[in-house]
Amino acid sequence: MHQTHSQREFAIEFQPQIHILRPSIHSRRANIVVKFQDLYGFTVEGNVDDVNILNEVREKVRQQGRVWWALEASKGANWYLQPQVSSLTEGIALKSSLKLSNLTNAITLKRLIRKGIPPVLRPKVWFSLSGAAKKKSTVPESYYSDLTKAVEGKVTAATKQIDHDLPRTFPGHPWLDTPEGHAALRRVLVGYSFRDSDVGYCQGLNYVAALLLLVMKTEEDAFWMLAVLLENVLVSDCYTTNLSGCHVEQRVFQDLLVKKCPRIATHLEELEFDVSLVATEWFLCLFSKSLPSETTLRVWDVLFYEGAKVLFHVALAIFKMREEELLQTHHVGDVINILQKTTHHLFDPDELLTVAFDKIGSMTTNTISKERKKQEPAVMAELDQRLRRLNSIKMDDEK
Amino acid sequence: MATTANKNINAKLVLLGDVGAGKSSLVLRFVKGQFVEFQESTIGAAFFSQTLAVNDATVKFEIWDTAGQERYHSLAPMYYRGAAAAIIVYDISNQASFERAKKWVQELQAQGNPNMVMALAGNKADLLDARKVAAEEAQVYAQENGLFFMETSAKTATNVNDIFYEIAKRLSQVQPAPNPSGMVIMDRPTERTASAACCS
Ligand SMILES: Nc1nc2c(ncn2[C@@H]2O[C@H](COP(=O)(O)OP(=O)(O)OP(=O)(O)O)[C@@H](O)[C@H]2O)c(=O)[nH]1
Ligand SMILES: [Mg+2]
Repeated sequence: MHQTHSQREFAIEFQPQIHILRPSIHSRRANIVVKFQDLYGFTVEGNVDDVNILNEVREKVRQQGRVWWALEASKGANWYLQPQVSSLTEGIALKSSLKLSNLTNAITLKRLIRKGIPPVLRPKVWFSLSGAAKKKSTVPESYYSDLTKAVEGKVTAATKQIDHDLPRTFPGHPWLDTPEGHAALRRVLVGYSFRDSDVGYCQGLNYVAALLLLVMKTEEDAFWMLAVLLENVLVSDCYTTNLSGCHVEQRVFQDLLVKKCPRIATHLEELEFDVSLVATEWFLCLFSKSLPSETTLRVWDVLFYEGAKVLFHVALAIFKMREEELLQTHHVGDVINILQKTTHHLFDPDELLTVAFDKIGSMTTNTISKERKKQEPAVMAELDQRLRRLNSIKMDDEK
Repeated sequence: MATTANKNINAKLVLLGDVGAGKSSLVLRFVKGQFVEFQESTIGAAFFSQTLAVNDATVKFEIWDTAGQERYHSLAPMYYRGAAAAIIVYDISNQASFERAKKWVQELQAQGNPNMVMALAGNKADLLDARKVAAEEAQVYAQENGLFFMETSAKTATNVNDIFYEIAKRLSQVQPAPNPSGMVIMDRPTERTASAACCS
């Protein structure tokens, strides 16, 4: 029901050139910072090289689109929607009943998705491949509109926090930061806070939901994408009371860094730099606050198809890309500056994803699950210990 | 000798406080001299650095601006571990944020580095009409707990540089001179397993 048509105007992928907002003769020089709008309407600051990269990315997106259209023409419009396809991607259990054509489709699809889903196809492809469509199909047609109607006017801790955060979510965005944008984001977040009261509202979800709203055709689809993300794609308890799932992911990430980038890991350890200082935000916002929008969405393309392990690939890649520079650092601050500069300027998604998948090498969902299991008890014990210590402070205080 | 040598101090500073108290705004004002009406909410924490010269010392702050939402508190130890200074921020127009600030003080007293320089900032001091927390009350509380107190406004810039300057001054006094490269390191867990932990 709540159609959000106007947001589509910001997916300006077919606009030929990026307009520099304040063009001047000086801005031709690469070291001069200019402001411009990216594919999804975000204002970004960068130099002329960045603008050129974005224009190239735009061209690549167009080419990618042609590849997808050609495949639709030869294999049929919904060739990628066959249910077996996604279960294959891990290379697990090749069901003998599976047809060879499905297998080739699966391989094609995995490769294709890593190269990027064209923005116009994203709503459709994400919705089916992530499992959101299936999730939605298990409840009555009117679920979302009933939910939003039922919770209208209710005030909870979550709704208060959401209201506080609406104008603080990508402020200045031409659609998100309008009354219409705020209202849509509010309905999605409030609706979800009632769907799962353990999660309620966790800061960070505002950015994730906002980006989903920009991509998906309707607000309702954005809601289902949020649901499938929290309930199926990501590890559970990432966003609940003490973020325990997020703590687990951080420890797994630290271990993976030791395995995949041992030199960096050793150096950072010497600096007493804990990678979760920076990676926590990456994992909770799924990179939406750190990477340029099209790069974030390219990560999400793969995330929705291959699962949460993708976050590790990408996080490791960010470190890996700057290996030599990072090894030269002497201060925690320098490490952070390098990482921030890197993420903010990653306008070319292929640069990141090539490292993430080719250089980092394969990691199966299975090994990561095992790793999580290993870390869980320690995280729980620690969180518990902290809670008890804080409670004992309170008791002393009352005496 | 201790007073004549020019000291270079690297100091980790952490900002703690309730959601929306204005932690990020204070840092933005201090580091960039800016204020925005709608500041993005902080997730996890954000990092900034800024250098101040006081008397005979140069203090390089490594600032961790943390997230205020309750469930993020389990991340806080990672950010205040080894910190030389803390600014605990509340919003003078919000009583609950003052109560939250007191809890942070308790936690730092129990868990933080014992020599930590702690400041209490009553922010949004420009919102006089909406005031809910009396300056006297906060002043008394700060005195009783060994913090120094200032009312600040990230919006008008009142007392923002001053609070960081005062911290720098105190750090340069407590800091022993012969530590030229020195991070102000205290309370660092010796075991690596402990420091890799997400919470303590
Ligand atoms: N009037 C007034 N408003 C302020 C002041 N400082 C911050 N604000 C406003 O208060 C809101 C919250 O400020 P932030 O700096 O984001 O607060 P925070 O403590 O960092 O919040 P979290 O990151 O969510 O924990 C923003 O909309 C600011 O514009 C101030 O001194 N005066
Ligand atoms: Mg903040």
